[in-house]
Amino acid sequence: MTYVIETRGVRKIYNPGKTSEVIALDNINLKIKSGDMVAIMGASGSGKTTLLDVIGCLLKPSSGKVFIDGVETEKLDEDGLAEVRGKKIGFVFQQYNLVHSFTAMENVAFAIRLLGKPKDEAEKKAKNLLELVGLGKRIDHRPSELSGGEQQRVAIARALANNPKIILGDELTGNLDMKTSKIILQLIKELNRKHGYTVIVVTHDPKVGNVCNKIIKIQDGKIIGGEK
Amino acid sequence: MIDLAFRNITRQRSRTFLTILGIVIGIAAIVALGSIAAGIDDTVQKSLELVAGRIIVVESDENTEGLGALLLGMNSELTDEHVNSISIVAGVKDTVPMVMHFKSFEGFFSSSEQIVGMEPDKTEYFKGEKIGIYEGRDMEEGDSGVALIGKTIAEVYNLEPGDYYEVGDTDFEIIGIIEKTGSTDIDMGVIVPIEDLQEALDIDTYQMIYVIPDDITATELVAEDIEDEVDDVATITGTEITRQASEMVGAISFFTIGIGAVAAFVGGLGVMNTMIMAVIERRREIGVMKAIGATNNKVLIQFLTESAMISMIGGGVGCALGVFASLGITTVAMGMITTVATWPLLFFAFIFALSLGIVGGIYPAWKAAKLDPVDALRYE
Repeated sequence: MTYVIETRGVRKIYNPGKTSEVIALDNINLKIKSGDMVAIMGASGSGKTTLLDVIGCLLKPSSGKVFIDGVETEKLDEDGLAEVRGKKIGFVFQQYNLVHSFTAMENVAFAIRLLGKPKDEAEKKAKNLLELVGLGKRIDHRPSELSGGEQQRVAIARALANNPKIILGDELTGNLDMKTSKIILQLIKELNRKHGYTVIVVTHDPKVGNVCNKIIKIQDGKIIGGEK
Repeated sequence: MIDLAFRNITRQRSRTFLTILGIVIGIAAIVALGSIAAGIDDTVQKSLELVAGRIIVVESDENTEGLGALLLGMNSELTDEHVNSISIVAGVKDTVPMVMHFKSFEGFFSSSEQIVGMEPDKTEYFKGEKIGIYEGRDMEEGDSGVALIGKTIAEVYNLEPGDYYEVGDTDFEIIGIIEKTGSTDIDMGVIVPIEDLQEALDIDTYQMIYVIPDDITATELVAEDIEDEVDDVATITGTEITRQASEMVGAISFFTIGIGAVAAFVGGLGVMNTMIMAVIERRREIGVMKAIGATNNKVLIQFLTESAMISMIGGGVGCALGVFASLGITTVAMGMITTVATWPLLFFAFIFALSLGIVGGIYPAWKAAKLDPVDALRYE
């Protein structure tokens, strides 16, 4: 059986050989199927964000192998990793990371245009994606005119800009109140269920874990168990 | 890419405006000063055409030659004896003794009018054979108390044939206006009969003698013969004057364009500063760009496009402003300073501006491209 994400013996060591050496990930073996919705949970400093960065091809492991949709990322150079990110992965961040002077549509279209699409096509697709996340009537609003939940929806629409197979979320409800968190989680769940996106979210919030169909617990860089 | 770059540089409008202004000032300075230098070159070239194939004779000076001798020769006291001796040198077709007098003109710019005394039937040797009379008539043999004036002088003083032009205590009746030549020697010049000018200045000598050779190709040989056969005289040929004048104009051009280039370079540093600030402010955005799949090259090109766009806008506006300034200088100076904003000068200025933007943008763009996406995304 092929997995959309697979890690084999992944280790990540920061500042190797120095007194400040930190083993952030130690012998991580993961197998995630297409369409899974997985929560990686752990305390602060447990290594969960490092694991997300490795899976997201933002960070190379010190050793071990990572396969994303069958592509062995260890052998890829920076451009190769960028290509994998561009074709297979969409990121959603806790801080939204939107361009404040751009409207909602421009923020999403910007991502599409970076992939080489013409302006008209990018704007049309951005509009469709914003409608998909329930922001069809607020496409001309700037981030400062949107609530936190709405900004996160724009970020989710931007993450879908490249038609990814995988959505990676880093504490995506960390800045939101309980009610808004619930709405965002429902949206993510819907994207997973209806549209088949594989979702991996890093969180320390048990409520996020509750909506996922799999939980991976991590502590001191090691997987200490899974649930569901 | 282009409209995205424009969108990005207009995010911080005030900062971008000031950066562009820095480039505009530098490039406008290059164009305005360069057009003045080109104007000087143009004027000099047109003046040189008047002495082409001629030999100018002045009193000799042991220490100077060429243009220096010509300038010192303004104090020469040549006599009819010199004229007669030169006339019999082989290859000499004609001799034109001259008296020069300069009258200062105080307008917006200080300048001076050149009053030339020469035999009335030989004016074509000074103003050029192809230059005609714009209004009135040329001087003729036997004319006395009359003057031919240059077109610029006529315009500045609003003079026309029938009016009078004053030299010392003597009034000369204007009989003709010489058509515009582009040479300030003529356009700002006045030609009067030599005997009248000598009388007005109370002198009986000449400051220089124009010598017209029989064969224009033998100018240098005739000049050498004059120096050999006539005592206490030095000769300067059009070729020598042209060479020295070209060197002088080249130095002026280098100096004036250099001043503008320094100003523009400072503008280029402004571009670099703005782009470094942009990279710092947009760190998270760069992280997002990379997370989305932008390669290092794409990030590099995005930021380079933005810096190039700032410099292109600055270059374009600077060129336009420079042309406007050079036209303004000519207008304010009432034609006494000519400026020539040539296409090569504008092309050079624009390319220089573009290069400043690209060179100034390379370092910040490279920094942006090399940012680690993880660090960039979590930058506080």
